[in-house]
Amino acid sequence: MPKIISTHSFRGGTGKSNTTANLAVLTAKRGLRVGVIDTDIQSPGIHVIFGFDPKSAKSSLNDYLWGRCRIEEAAYDMTEGCIGQVHTGDERPRLFLIPSSLRTGEIARVLREGYDVAKLNDGIHELVEGLNLDVLFIDTHPGVNEETLLSIAISDALVLTLRPDQQDFQGTAVTVELARRLEVPRMFVVVNKVPEGIDQDLLREQVEAAYQCQVAALLPLSNEMVKLGSGGLFANRYPDHPLSVSLKRLSDELMTS
Amino acid sequence: MSTNQPAPPIDEVGALLGRMRSAASPVRDVLRELHERLSKDDSGEVATYIPELAKANPGWFGLSICTVDGNTIEFGDVSQPFTIQSISKAFVYGMALEDRGLENVLAKVGVEPTGDAFNSIVLDEISNRPFNPMVNAGAIATCDLINGADHPERVARMLNMIRTYCGREIHIDHSVFLSERMTGHRNRAMAHLMRNFGMMGEKFEESLELYFQQCSILVTASDLAVMGATLANAGVNPKTGERAISADNVKYVLSLMLTCGMYDYAGEWAFRVGLPAKSGVAGGIVAVIPGVGGIGVFSPPLDAKGNSVRGVRACTELSQRFGLHCLATGSGGNALLEALTARRR
Repeated sequence: MPKIISTHSFRGGTGKSNTTANLAVLTAKRGLRVGVIDTDIQSPGIHVIFGFDPKSAKSSLNDYLWGRCRIEEAAYDMTEGCIGQVHTGDERPRLFLIPSSLRTGEIARVLREGYDVAKLNDGIHELVEGLNLDVLFIDTHPGVNEETLLSIAISDALVLTLRPDQQDFQGTAVTVELARRLEVPRMFVVVNKVPEGIDQDLLREQVEAAYQCQVAALLPLSNEMVKLGSGGLFANRYPDHPLSVSLKRLSDELMTS
Repeated sequence: MSTNQPAPPIDEVGALLGRMRSAASPVRDVLRELHERLSKDDSGEVATYIPELAKANPGWFGLSICTVDGNTIEFGDVSQPFTIQSISKAFVYGMALEDRGLENVLAKVGVEPTGDAFNSIVLDEISNRPFNPMVNAGAIATCDLINGADHPERVARMLNMIRTYCGREIHIDHSVFLSERMTGHRNRAMAHLMRNFGMMGEKFEESLELYFQQCSILVTASDLAVMGATLANAGVNPKTGERAISADNVKYVLSLMLTCGMYDYAGEWAFRVGLPAKSGVAGGIVAVIPGVGGIGVFSPPLDAKGNSVRGVRACTELSQRFGLHCLATGSGGNALLEALTARRR
């Protein structure tokens, strides 16, 4: 049964897209067909981490939403660059990216006209069926808006990313409440960019008390990640780094049960 | 499933989350598949008795379901306006019941199905009443029962009634109204005949105008679903919380829709689909799943009996698939409710 996993953060800058991209690659490396869809139409970005050149995209999620193409035509096979050589005949592992458009006109059109979220839902399901995906990651726009709520509503699991920061704490509570009301089956709280020297047990306790749900991972603030500046996939570049190890464990947890 | 306890109106967050659940509902996949498959059926003819109707695109096809908790799941041309035509008859009948009370309405219009066509000129030989309010004669006599100090007030009250069912401002398509009025010789003849028998009052000509106006109200498939859901919800519009008709009168409207709502296909419709419904020559059908919700379908090509070809097929399939037949003991609407509340997996 294919899995749909949404990643969300209430505020920007939590490292949501980096977490999503790395989780997607680590998940695909288990020998699965994985898709990543960028529904952050207002401020797309996850394609950068995959090293995808937006100029090479004939079609994007926007084209699908405006009825200009089928959703599969906006999916790009990133397997070779992100996982390595796979025999052409092999169906697994595979990694597909469905980018949003970076063209100013396209972004302006979404802001001006909006779009039918139900159509996004149709697209997501056509994508899972058409590409025969085992797992689809949905990278959402920070904050609460229609496409994030839709992704929560259709997801089997929701990964909530926040920093150890009071603004993140308060905002995330809103998402947690909405996710509960949308009856998302599983919620994973990920505290990212945890600085060295912080009392991890206390932090974990605080977060768990605030949201009444378990913290799935505390990810360390990493200099290497900062230096990488979204210029690549961290887990590929530093496979033995504690951050990569934690991400791998998180991917395991997402895939079990 | 009691229809006597309308669901409370929903708060803003609830409405937003409801929209998301609707967008994510597995029922949407059912509608999408149905829409795709039935779109290929291009049988039937668009009504041409007035030029305005003949302009309709035979490809238009919208499917909408609205639940008694106010969630809408829809697909296709659900925002395309079209004239309500005969669908108005059911709602105006409900209004006459509210205005005059059951016995006074029954004195003027019967509740007996006829096997005759919608435009037949047949009155009950003993009472001189038209057989039921869903044939033209009965609908015109029903119009005569609508209260109001003068004609404009009667029109305004009728529009307000439909507005309450739809939950939005509605308008009359003026060119359709003028065409109906110019070419409605048969309806005019019926009105005169009923006036002759004393079944219509002195204002019968104004009532006839009112009838032409009610048929020319513009609605969409989305509207029809909300209108149906309002009846399903004991008379309270689930989107606005506004009452459109008393719960007591809902059952009279629904029973007439079940027995007479689909022209001379009504018997087979009740047998096969088993839902109170009303169709119109512009291609609309509203169907009511009591206690569960309303279905609105719009597709202009009509079959020989004057019902939307794709509309009849869509309602038939939805009824069978979700076990919606209202006389199916033990299961009425439950499968749809479950599907509507279920997450995708």
